[in-house]
Amino acid sequence: MSTESNNSAADRLPPRERREALAFLLPVALFLGGLVLVPVLGTLLDSLHRDVTFLPRSFIGLENYRALSADPAFWASVRFTLVFVLVSVPLQVVLGLLIALVLNEGFAGRALLRACVLIPWAVPAAVSGRVFELIYNYSYGAANWLIQLVHPGAGPVNWLGTELGALAAVVVADTYKTTPFAALLLLAGLSAIPEDLYGQARIDRATFLQRFFRITLPLLKPVLVVTLIFRTIDALRVFDVIFVLTGGGPGGATSALSIYGFRYYAAGDFGYASAVSVILFFISLTLVVGYASLGGFGREAR
Amino acid sequence: MSEERVQRILLYCGVTGAVLFCLAPFGYMVLTGLSLRPDFLRPEIPLTLTALNFGTVLTDPSLHFLAYLRNSLVVSAVSATVAVLVASLAAYALTRLEAPGKLLILFFILGVSLFPQVSLVSWLYKFMATLGWINTLQALVLPYVAWTLPLAVWILYSYFTQIPRDLDRAALVDGCTRLQVLFRVVLPVAAPGVFSTFLLAFIFAFNEFLFALMLTADYTARTVPVGIALFEGRHGELPWGEIMAAATVATLPVVLLTLVYQRRIVQGLTRGAVKG
Repeated sequence: MSTESNNSAADRLPPRERREALAFLLPVALFLGGLVLVPVLGTLLDSLHRDVTFLPRSFIGLENYRALSADPAFWASVRFTLVFVLVSVPLQVVLGLLIALVLNEGFAGRALLRACVLIPWAVPAAVSGRVFELIYNYSYGAANWLIQLVHPGAGPVNWLGTELGALAAVVVADTYKTTPFAALLLLAGLSAIPEDLYGQARIDRATFLQRFFRITLPLLKPVLVVTLIFRTIDALRVFDVIFVLTGGGPGGATSALSIYGFRYYAAGDFGYASAVSVILFFISLTLVVGYASLGGFGREAR
Repeated sequence: MSEERVQRILLYCGVTGAVLFCLAPFGYMVLTGLSLRPDFLRPEIPLTLTALNFGTVLTDPSLHFLAYLRNSLVVSAVSATVAVLVASLAAYALTRLEAPGKLLILFFILGVSLFPQVSLVSWLYKFMATLGWINTLQALVLPYVAWTLPLAVWILYSYFTQIPRDLDRAALVDGCTRLQVLFRVVLPVAAPGVFSTFLLAFIFAFNEFLFALMLTADYTARTVPVGIALFEGRHGELPWGEIMAAATVATLPVVLLTLVYQRRIVQGLTRGAVKG
């Protein structure tokens, strides 16, 4: 916990001020302690128990985890979650970067474009999920209409009924919802790059691409890493869009870990579902630590 | 062709692409809500505009749509207000009172958001069931406050550090208590940041799905996203026109807030994240 240097710094404070500081921090501690920390620790404990509605609760050690590892549906769910992250996060960050580059240029109507970009972010994922459900409608949705418009004669695609179609559908719907956030973060990073760096590069007759790869990208790296971390954490726990759009189907093909775990919560098998949550948390943690060390944050923070 | 021109052309392609990408699904939603038939994209079906779907959604009592909307607005407004209050107390302590272990507390608060939402639902459910609060608005407000606090504390922290401490020292010398300093000096000076934080917390609460799905049972507490997600037809076929009309009305509050206050929202979002 707190180190000795912290304690000595605290000792130097007037006791009154210290009491006040603690009082001001108390509400936050109550909320986060009672409604986040206790539930998380409770979930950790539950995962070591047989905890099923109407049955007596009993300690069973790692039995839930053993049962998980023996369930092919669990491994399919892990695989889908990782595929989803690997496909959607790079797509969202690249698209977000393109939008940010556009927004970073001076042109008339820039504020208007920024407002447009915010709309998908503001719409609830459950609602945009429903809109995409209609877009992917087999007989009259906009997706198949568009395909037939560009390529007359092409048969309609069964988006939500096939494994690959459902993956594409979920990735596109999630990308629609989350790219704006990535774009805004990256835009903040871009606008922090000093303009005169580009002026010098122009004098040196660097091309557009040279400027991008030699100046923009290296200077944007910290913000890129932060964006990747945020998007990865979020994509790992994807729930709303999939729940609404495919419900995890067809045949469990888009059953992300959150969906897989939720099914067991809803069925009343709290112990098993908790084990899924714990694993999801550790996957998030591993990836974040991995990214952070990639981004060299440990060194910068000193 | 000069490079300057190529760049201009690329820029306008980018602008067009971004606008289409962001607005097309939204426009499709509104148009389907206004269309007599949801299959108007078929060549043989004419597009007939009507207000029928909107009328049904807003007046049919069996759909409970207005109840969902009211629940959403109440829950979002209350939880955003509480979150801003609790977070400003914390941010004040962390910027003004040299609380012991300050950085540790900040990173702990941020680390909380690493936990997946699904890992909280079972205990939140047990907790609310014990209190007899399942299917009540307070069952949503409490977790929403907790879940938005990390972002709120970080944003307010970054705003509060920029306010000169001489300002509140002067007020303290004049005999104000710490609480008075916070409410009469710091919060008014940080008003733009406080407002950004409120907006983000409001939009988060308005959009939240998983907690609302688990903790509510019917229209007495159900919020709009869950209501729309569970909107089913009464005769088998999904009533797409009505669903999209409901979706349009439901997104109106957040979309209007976003459009009117886009500058505030962008500032709040990027402060909360990039500083971290």
